[in-house]
Amino acid sequence: MQPILKINLTTNETSEYIIPAKWERDYLGGASLAARLLYPILTQNLDPVSPESPLLFLNGPLSGTVGPAVGRFVVCGKSPATALWAESNCGGFWGPELRFCGYDGVWITGKAAKPVYLWINDGKIEVRQATHLWGLDTYEIQARIKNELGQTGAHILGIGIAGENGVLFANIMCDHGRAAGRTGLGAVMGAKNLKAIAVLGTKKIPLARPELFAPLRSAANRALKEDNLSHVFHDLGTASVADYADYLGAMPKKYFHSGTFDGAGKVSGSTMTETILAGISACHACVIACGRVVRLEDGTKRKGPEYETIVSFGPNLLIDDLAAITRLGEACDRYGMDTISAGGTLGLAFHLFEKGSITEMDTGGQALHWGDVKTIEKMLHLIATRKGIGEYLSQGSRRLGRHFGEEDEAVQVNGLEVAYHDPRAFSGMALVYATSPRGACHNQSEYFQVDLGQADSSLGLEFYDRHAGVEKAANVARHQDWQTVFNALVMCLFANIPAETVSSLINMACGMDYSVDYLFYIGERAWNLKRAINNRLGLTRVNDKLPKTLLEPYQEGGSAGYVPPFSKMLEAYYTARGWDPETGKPKPERLARLGLEWVVQDIWK
Amino acid sequence: MASIFPSTEWLQTLFDKLNSDERYEKIARNWEGDMCVVIEPSGPLTEPLFYYLDLWHGKCRKIEILKDFSAVQPKFVLSATYENISRIMKGELDAMNAMMTRKLHVQGNMAYLMRNVPTVLDFVRCAREVTTEIQS
Repeated sequence: MQPILKINLTTNETSEYIIPAKWERDYLGGASLAARLLYPILTQNLDPVSPESPLLFLNGPLSGTVGPAVGRFVVCGKSPATALWAESNCGGFWGPELRFCGYDGVWITGKAAKPVYLWINDGKIEVRQATHLWGLDTYEIQARIKNELGQTGAHILGIGIAGENGVLFANIMCDHGRAAGRTGLGAVMGAKNLKAIAVLGTKKIPLARPELFAPLRSAANRALKEDNLSHVFHDLGTASVADYADYLGAMPKKYFHSGTFDGAGKVSGSTMTETILAGISACHACVIACGRVVRLEDGTKRKGPEYETIVSFGPNLLIDDLAAITRLGEACDRYGMDTISAGGTLGLAFHLFEKGSITEMDTGGQALHWGDVKTIEKMLHLIATRKGIGEYLSQGSRRLGRHFGEEDEAVQVNGLEVAYHDPRAFSGMALVYATSPRGACHNQSEYFQVDLGQADSSLGLEFYDRHAGVEKAANVARHQDWQTVFNALVMCLFANIPAETVSSLINMACGMDYSVDYLFYIGERAWNLKRAINNRLGLTRVNDKLPKTLLEPYQEGGSAGYVPPFSKMLEAYYTARGWDPETGKPKPERLARLGLEWVVQDIWK
Repeated sequence: MASIFPSTEWLQTLFDKLNSDERYEKIARNWEGDMCVVIEPSGPLTEPLFYYLDLWHGKCRKIEILKDFSAVQPKFVLSATYENISRIMKGELDAMNAMMTRKLHVQGNMAYLMRNVPTVLDFVRCAREVTTEIQS
């Protein structure tokens, strides 16, 4: 891989970090390599928003190679929301453009005295003042910086006012509304007074065997383009699954408390396609093109919401108006806030208001009624500015619940709000949410897809009933290991690509000779390294849990009456993982088998 | 009656089943659209087979074995190898699993399809239930 650009914003010192070749071989890149790089730094005493806290933007060995769905990069560090491992990957064009500059990553430390942005143009690095950009939204800064640089081709990532103000679910946005959404790394960036990073490069991405890689990636792209799932995502966006998810009771409604909502059908990907869709958008060289462009009543084309945003601001809050959901999603994007956590935290507030635990005394006289779009708009502004009730909302659902004496009502795991794939419909998600290294995340394993049917035998995955229990624990672990490989590459999880194709692409790009089995081994290694990081940060078995709401059955809908047998599933998962059932730590022998014997003394001392 | 897949008799039996099955009638009550099932050569099958079914509001209006589907332009085309379709008919391969793992290819209006996944799956149930034997 190419060097990582290191920048200390306190001193403005820059240097190039050469990634040890062994670490490239052992971790590939992306989030896995970031875990290895940051392992010594991520300690329990590290304040995530301190100058010492690292913020690492990293590509993978396939990023930007025009391979299948590999236009992504990842941001890693310590999460201010969870105080655990943070990673959030992002599409668009920024990651590939950074590689075109001759860097595979940007490693930020320190804190600028005043707001700044970085301008990386091939090998030229500038730290430029950004006081005039502070307070602008994530779309405005892109236009302003491009204009200021006189470079319309530059790609820019940055934060909105949520990141500036330290909202714990502030995100980092780039290009046409692409988000590194989860774990609050926008707040880390804001704490460094870093508003944006602009990149523009002209260099070629190094490939070990370019003559073999080129025909392979062409064939892989052709096959991916013809795949059923690609057709569905291309035609309907990520909300394609919404109708079926609703039918199965997998789409949460009324903050995970209702199994049905009459308006659910009005907000699906199919409905969007038939009503407000005006175009599609794609990340760098992606043949799927799941991004939506919609036209609302004002005639302006804008980003259309994806599944998570649709459910977050739709059925989760009992809203069935796609135009309203689009605007709420856009507000979040402009403020620079994760839509899953924003909608989840608001859902808790509405739930507690209905329950009487939050009153108008707490909200500044504002009633919180389900489906009230105007109130939600106001609340989003209060969150981004941390004013009034927004101060509590800006800290996410766990802290909001704690403040009002109702922490158990928060649908979150370890401080990260649960994504909108209900484990009462897809039992595998129970383990995914409970054991993800970054809290209740669906992107460490989109196991709901496996429970739907994407149990690919080429990956050695069995296909179990969506309500099966302990028998799928090892399957979940295997899927997590494979998705960890994707998050290392950094390959989009929507790329439905045979395992052998993935290994061949890596081998041609990196000059390796990895088998599919060995990739699983690499994935398992990184999964356990992230676990070890979290163990060092204080995570134990007690953290591997589900919120109580998800262990109470729905009374109606496609999953009525079912709850996953979570305790037994977790026990089987620990066995499959080789984790100690008392402490939740990977056992020394498992760590040694994975080449991680060097962490044993840290987590077992 | 023995219904060996694939055969003209099998298709006729499926036609009868779709027009008499109460569960299918209920689930598919809003379905409007014809489809062509393309069975691609593999195993004992040396030439492709094209089975046409016109499905309408929980009933089947017409069946036909075609030489290809270019003349009818059906709303959906489902295609898979003989081996994979046989596994689906035998219940060894789940239809959703096949669609999501590159074993059963679907062409057509995806917005319509994703709204009607339960109908498609119940169609497969009916096809399975009329299959007594697989030609080998």
